[in-house]
Amino acid sequence: MSYLIVKRSCNRFSHLDFSKFQNFLSLNQNHKVLVSGLPSVLTKTIKNPSWSYFSVSKYHKFSHLSGKDKVLASGFGVLKSLFSTQAAVELSTSDGLTIDGIVASNWTILDESESDWKSHAAAIAQSIQVIKRRLQWKKLMVRLDLLSAQLNNPDLWDDPVHAGKISREHGSLMAKMKEVKALERELLEHIDMIKLAREEDDTELESETLKALLWMRRNSNEKELEALLSGEQDSCSCYIEVQGGAGGTESMDWAKMVMQMYKSWAQHHGYGVTVVDEMPGEIAGIKRATIKVDGEYAFGYAKAEVGVHRLVRISPFDSGKRRHTSFAAVAVIPILGDGSTRVQINESDLRIERFRAGGAGGQHVNTTESAVRIVHIPSGITATCQNERSQHMNKASAMAVLQSRLDQLEMARQAQINAQHTQSLTDIGWGNQIRSYVLHPYRMVKDLRTNYEVSDPDSVLEGEIDGFILSYLSASLDKDKDCP
Amino acid sequence: MKLGLSRACLYSCSCAPIFSSSMPSLTTIKPKIPVFLRPPTYLVTSLDLQKWHGWAKNLASSVGSSLVESDNGPDSTLLCREINWLLEDSLENRSSSSRFSFSQYKYDTSGKNESVMLRISLDDLYQLWKQRIEERRPFQYIVGCEHWRDLVLSVQEGVLIPRPETELIVDLVHDVVSNYEELGQGMWADVGTGSGAIAIGIRRIFGSYARVIATDLSPVAVSVATFNVQRYGLQDVIEVRQGSWFEPLKDVEGQLVGIVSNPPYIPSDNISGLQAEVGRHEPRVALDGGASGMDYLLHLCNGAAAMLKPGGFFAFETNGEKQCEFLIDYMQNDIAGSFCNLNIVSDFAGIQRFVTGFRQ
Repeated sequence: MSYLIVKRSCNRFSHLDFSKFQNFLSLNQNHKVLVSGLPSVLTKTIKNPSWSYFSVSKYHKFSHLSGKDKVLASGFGVLKSLFSTQAAVELSTSDGLTIDGIVASNWTILDESESDWKSHAAAIAQSIQVIKRRLQWKKLMVRLDLLSAQLNNPDLWDDPVHAGKISREHGSLMAKMKEVKALERELLEHIDMIKLAREEDDTELESETLKALLWMRRNSNEKELEALLSGEQDSCSCYIEVQGGAGGTESMDWAKMVMQMYKSWAQHHGYGVTVVDEMPGEIAGIKRATIKVDGEYAFGYAKAEVGVHRLVRISPFDSGKRRHTSFAAVAVIPILGDGSTRVQINESDLRIERFRAGGAGGQHVNTTESAVRIVHIPSGITATCQNERSQHMNKASAMAVLQSRLDQLEMARQAQINAQHTQSLTDIGWGNQIRSYVLHPYRMVKDLRTNYEVSDPDSVLEGEIDGFILSYLSASLDKDKDCP
Repeated sequence: MKLGLSRACLYSCSCAPIFSSSMPSLTTIKPKIPVFLRPPTYLVTSLDLQKWHGWAKNLASSVGSSLVESDNGPDSTLLCREINWLLEDSLENRSSSSRFSFSQYKYDTSGKNESVMLRISLDDLYQLWKQRIEERRPFQYIVGCEHWRDLVLSVQEGVLIPRPETELIVDLVHDVVSNYEELGQGMWADVGTGSGAIAIGIRRIFGSYARVIATDLSPVAVSVATFNVQRYGLQDVIEVRQGSWFEPLKDVEGQLVGIVSNPPYIPSDNISGLQAEVGRHEPRVALDGGASGMDYLLHLCNGAAAMLKPGGFFAFETNGEKQCEFLIDYMQNDIAGSFCNLNIVSDFAGIQRFVTGFRQ
């Protein structure tokens, strides 16, 4: 805040030695002292007509206001050392607007590129709320109170091991709480600033604050994502599998479009994409395909896509130009990292097949076809790979798929034992429709789980599915919260 | 940095016509450089490349399943996959992973016309793909390499393209060496090495003391195998010798701890009916095993008895069940007492493909 003001004065009086001034600033907690202690050169320039006395006093007043927040912030330090949590006090702008208030006002959230401060503020406030939900904010505050009370107990350190545990937990929760509070405070300060700028008709300050808000919107969006993707396997790479439903060429074409959507999505996110297995349709499209998506949080995002995707359009394969409905099922399998416990596979349980054993084989045949299919006999689970250029590599690739499938099966089994995890991956039956893509008679893509919708199906099919993914992820956060 | 030097010198002669099939004389044979190892010197536009891509796919689609029906050749799907691989090998890798820039091209739907660096000229791409479809020139000779196990081996006309079945020999040796550690420290031979595939494959699983001698009669094979050995930095532990079967190994008679081989085993009568890629393009000398296809396999059995140390291991690839059984019968009766623990191992297609055993 004070930095901004100083930066502004620096803009106007560029001959100032700004860095020195800044140092001076950071040493002085009290803004009043700061203003009265301005070096003479600045005092002189303040008299410059372009900087009206009125506005200086306004800024001054304002910096005093924000100083209130500062007092609150430094108050945290004091409170912390006393192990109390009056931090629960809700922060607000100078005119009493709170984070919950912002969300409750239902300001329209526009695209990032629209320079609308209310839109930015609403997006940020929403992110903050998601982050709080993920942290189970109310529970966290209660727990923090409890821990603070324990830490204030003078007998605590009689048992140093227990005390250490309490103190560590307190520290970690405190850090989380402070991070959220800092976000809230920053947002409210920006809002105060922009209101002030409007009052003052100061376009420069307004645009600077808007920029800061936009930056904060992106930043808090990232933080929100971190909060959304905190599942155990979320950070893993994954396989995405797409399979066409009944309906021949039409749905095979749809399956190919869906797969292409994921390939582009993954490419845009900078993930590595490898086709592991692809069964082309006779006329067009694919019967099924598996791609490997390599990169951090690939599974965390992609898991939101599990289910049946429905397409309504005038079929390009129907000479009668009739409207068709097609289905494609999507499955997503996490590739567990080295740290996780993985299912042990016995070599003797495997049957390894060459996909197309052509005649006599050996020296008789020269083919680049080296597809391998592995059957895990006890479970009946199979994995196929034909896109590597050697049989050895296809086998290794198919083994990796098989391993992940068995791991997933085991996780599902474990999840049934611990009912807590049941929300993760549901079976993809054809009844489990998650999203509808309508190209005709109107154009719209709508998620049936969250009601999130987009009126431009082309952009979605070109891989812009983050909106769907994020709305689903934050919706499942609420579901989580409802669970005991 | 031996490797770097020799490659640099090889680059300088890569301007020689890449389609020449004349047999050079013994001393001057220089192996051809696989496409993926050539410097990216040809600037083309992505639109021109996409034009080629479309043309190549059309040509591939026109094949349908006609070749499968005529001689078990490739179908359109497989040919389309080969187009992708040809592109993958021809495109410059801008980042460290070759896949990335290839996929950049592949997933670029922007319609922008960007420049792309190729390792072969666009004219060559057209000519090579025409050869692939019209002359049935093997894909591996087109790109100059074969992906075999986790290796990428240089191959060219005159050298047998290593088969996926043969990959299993390395696994068989690996199993034996895990059970009998001393075998992983001794001297092995890969006779009739061709591209050097088995020699390189097995050497990479041995301990530091093991040595492999790879022999081949063909000077082209010797030069290609030498190139491959150097590319994997194994020139100090794999020695490539020119000569027929065991002839170049007289100095190590009775000292070998292992012998592996994929000798020619196709009966002479079958040669004319082979798939075009094999019959018209691959060296007959690496395929034709005589009237019964057993000429060289029997020679190997006899030779192995003399060359192997007691306890030494051998693994030979065969034409299938009949040859496997014949060999087992031969070793148990005709040269009884030479070998023990004889075994037949099937390939992934379920065909009895390999005979293994130990010197008594």
